[in-house]
Amino acid sequence: MTPLVRPKLPATVVAAVVALALAVPALAGNGGFAPVPPASPNAEGISQSYWFVTFFILGIFVLVETLLVVFVLRFRRRRRARHADGAQIHGSSRLETMWTVGPVLILFAIAVFVFAKLPGIKDVPTASAGEPNLVVKVTGRQYYWQFEYPNGVITIDELRAPVGGVVQLDVTAPANDVIHSWWIPALGGKIDAIPGRVNHTWFQAEHAGVYSGQCAELCGLNHARMLSKVEAMPRAAFAAWLAERKAQQDAGTSPLGREAYDGVCAKCHGLAGEGKVAVDAPQLQGASLVSDAAGIERLLRNGGILMSAVGRDWNDTQMKAMTDYLKERFASGN
Amino acid sequence: MATNVGTPTVPSWQRGRVAGWLVTVDHKRIGLLYIATAGVFFAISGFLALLIRTQLAQADQSIVTGNSYNESVTMHGTGMVFFVVVPILAGLGNFLVPLMIGARDMAFPRLNALSYWLYLFAGLVFCLSFFAKGGAANAGWTAYPPLSLQSPGNGQDLWILSLHILTISSMAGAINFIVTIQNMRTAGMTWTRMPLFVWSIYVYAWLLLLVLPALSAGLTALLLERQFPGTFHFFAPSGGGSPVLYQHVFWFFGHPEVYIMILPAMGIVSEILPVFSRKPIFGYKAIAFSSIAIGFFSMLVWAHHMFTVGLSTPLNIWFMLVSMVIAVPTGMKIFNWLATLWRGNLSFDTPMLCAIAFLSVFTFGGLTGIYLAAFPVDWQLHDTYFVVGHFHYVLFGGAVFAILGGLVYWWPKMVGRMLDERITKAAFWLTFVGFNLTFFPQHLAGMLGMPRRIFTYYDTGLLQAYNLASTLGSFTMGVGMLLFLGAIVKSVNGRRAGNDPWLGDTLEWYTTSPPPAHNFESVPYVTSARPLYDLRRTLKDSGAL
Repeated sequence: MTPLVRPKLPATVVAAVVALALAVPALAGNGGFAPVPPASPNAEGISQSYWFVTFFILGIFVLVETLLVVFVLRFRRRRRARHADGAQIHGSSRLETMWTVGPVLILFAIAVFVFAKLPGIKDVPTASAGEPNLVVKVTGRQYYWQFEYPNGVITIDELRAPVGGVVQLDVTAPANDVIHSWWIPALGGKIDAIPGRVNHTWFQAEHAGVYSGQCAELCGLNHARMLSKVEAMPRAAFAAWLAERKAQQDAGTSPLGREAYDGVCAKCHGLAGEGKVAVDAPQLQGASLVSDAAGIERLLRNGGILMSAVGRDWNDTQMKAMTDYLKERFASGN
Repeated sequence: MATNVGTPTVPSWQRGRVAGWLVTVDHKRIGLLYIATAGVFFAISGFLALLIRTQLAQADQSIVTGNSYNESVTMHGTGMVFFVVVPILAGLGNFLVPLMIGARDMAFPRLNALSYWLYLFAGLVFCLSFFAKGGAANAGWTAYPPLSLQSPGNGQDLWILSLHILTISSMAGAINFIVTIQNMRTAGMTWTRMPLFVWSIYVYAWLLLLVLPALSAGLTALLLERQFPGTFHFFAPSGGGSPVLYQHVFWFFGHPEVYIMILPAMGIVSEILPVFSRKPIFGYKAIAFSSIAIGFFSMLVWAHHMFTVGLSTPLNIWFMLVSMVIAVPTGMKIFNWLATLWRGNLSFDTPMLCAIAFLSVFTFGGLTGIYLAAFPVDWQLHDTYFVVGHFHYVLFGGAVFAILGGLVYWWPKMVGRMLDERITKAAFWLTFVGFNLTFFPQHLAGMLGMPRRIFTYYDTGLLQAYNLASTLGSFTMGVGMLLFLGAIVKSVNGRRAGNDPWLGDTLEWYTTSPPPAHNFESVPYVTSARPLYDLRRTLKDSGAL
């Protein structure tokens, strides 16, 4: 009997401390005990399914662990001889049936609930005539997200969306790239960005704010830096921003060059062009290449020794924004 | 048949202490070689795990580079799955199956030796990957293309080759187990009198035989496409291939692989619980047949690893329902094990502690799997640390605790000496506490939004706290494992075991510890699943005991 009780004490103490440590953040927010608070109807449906499953799982978990602890305490050897037989029971068909049928019923209930929630999670709400859904093309690339709006506006790593508006995402990756996975936890589940395929998902941000996420499929050495953000803003502000951004982009004054630098270049070359953030990426500050627009374009389209072709299929507007920005930012040091 | 029992002539050069091990075809020695080799790979892969945890202990650290991190993750996962858990189970199976069924050796002793040496060779090729130009394989243990096609140098190629060699080794081993179990059971040992561990190895072997060819096919295609990118276009979309095709092929192998690792662990637990409860196993047939059910259904659920690739809804629904079906036979096992404790006479030696730990944490790991089977919920949890926590609860909490328990339980039979009880208990508690501290917070980190396989993160709040807890836990486990190693070293001078130190019920305890080369002088006629229990009762009734 002693071997059980003695070593169990420190474990109990540790467990209690851990439980307390976890209880504090749990009270403050959900602390990771549930998916992040949903801010879109599809994320809401997932969250409800999560809680429905949790209800049963917690019940079974408590049942099994309680029985285990009770049996361990109740049927421990105590003063009996080590070799004394326990009750020689070989089984029970009735119990066997119970713990087969019970789980089947529970799983059936879970499946029914999930199916009931599925349309609200998966199906894009139909657009009304006056208010079409905004369709954005999302391209996952090593190691940035590129967003293209219907009017041709391009942004990198940060997607803006109108509060309350349904945003449909066509998620893909270029044929020469690798698999990425689009995920903003508060705005719904993941969908993979697969080269050569287009997947679809959607969200409808319920309140203004910035929702962050990141690539969820291993995509290479900078996978951890492939972050993304969705900024939900009031409808009017969004419409104004999109129109203004379009005008800027056409005039060549949009911040696309800076965004592209921060999202595409800086993850290896550093936000200040200092180099060596990842592998042996050279320093850009003061490098002669930065003022050679044609040279940069060749490098971005074809890749270098270690560098992948991060801008292989960029359009001219995007390429020009990039080369202009590099020149303006780094050539001054020459 | 006395002529068959004569000592075979062994050439003198094969009788040396080292040479004897090199040329051995004895299933017991081969089993020990498997276990020792898997132990070395456990140390290597475990070291990589600690490296991973060190890098993630705090936000925005750069102890290793992104690339080295990806190499560590890949080699840790591949090492643990292919070179630790599966082979150590092959080792235990090798040592135990012939003893448990009252046979003299495996059906094909030379093939058995070939399996081991191919495993060792595969392991060496695997380690060479570290020294390849361009570094070790870095595309994850799943090696999804196009990433695995792009990985430079030959690290990925050596990784593929090592798994090819290992596959041949495992196939030969699987055939050997199946033939041995079907044909070499001793007189009276019908299928329903066979030890449950042997049942689990039987299903394990069938699964290996059925799904390894899929892995070989996938890896062959990957290797061809890496070496001849202009000629072969299986997976690269730029050449018209489909990266999703690889995922189907890989997971057709990959999901049953989980059960290949967990079924024999369940078999070990089914042996330990009755002995330390002094009871027969509750629901023998339910446990045996649920293994077959789990094995069968495990081949129908592969795409639950692919819920985010955008499969059609009917497919997602199919894979969700079948994945849930597996929970039923698994639940049956858990309840039968619980019922085995009921009204028993429980002794808490280290094997029993490991078996109870298995029961408590495997239940948790199994239950969190239900979230992942419900595919809309999986869209949220897929590829996050929640999944990392889940499968470590199943594979470390399940497989490793059972294997540790099995090692402590059968160690006396293998070497004739007991492991030190105090050290193994201390090792157990450190590992148990460390395990929960490591992997429980990972579920929470995942739900906060932390994807798996990222080499760093930027949140210094709660996410960092969970990661730090996880790192502390991993080092606690490391200390536990070192203690366990210490117990093994110390057992060289340990207490002598005798034939049957635990009062076991199965035939391996009928012979000496360690058993002689030919295993048994005689084997009693088997009339139940517990031949030694029957024997003890007969002796008691006749007044001899």
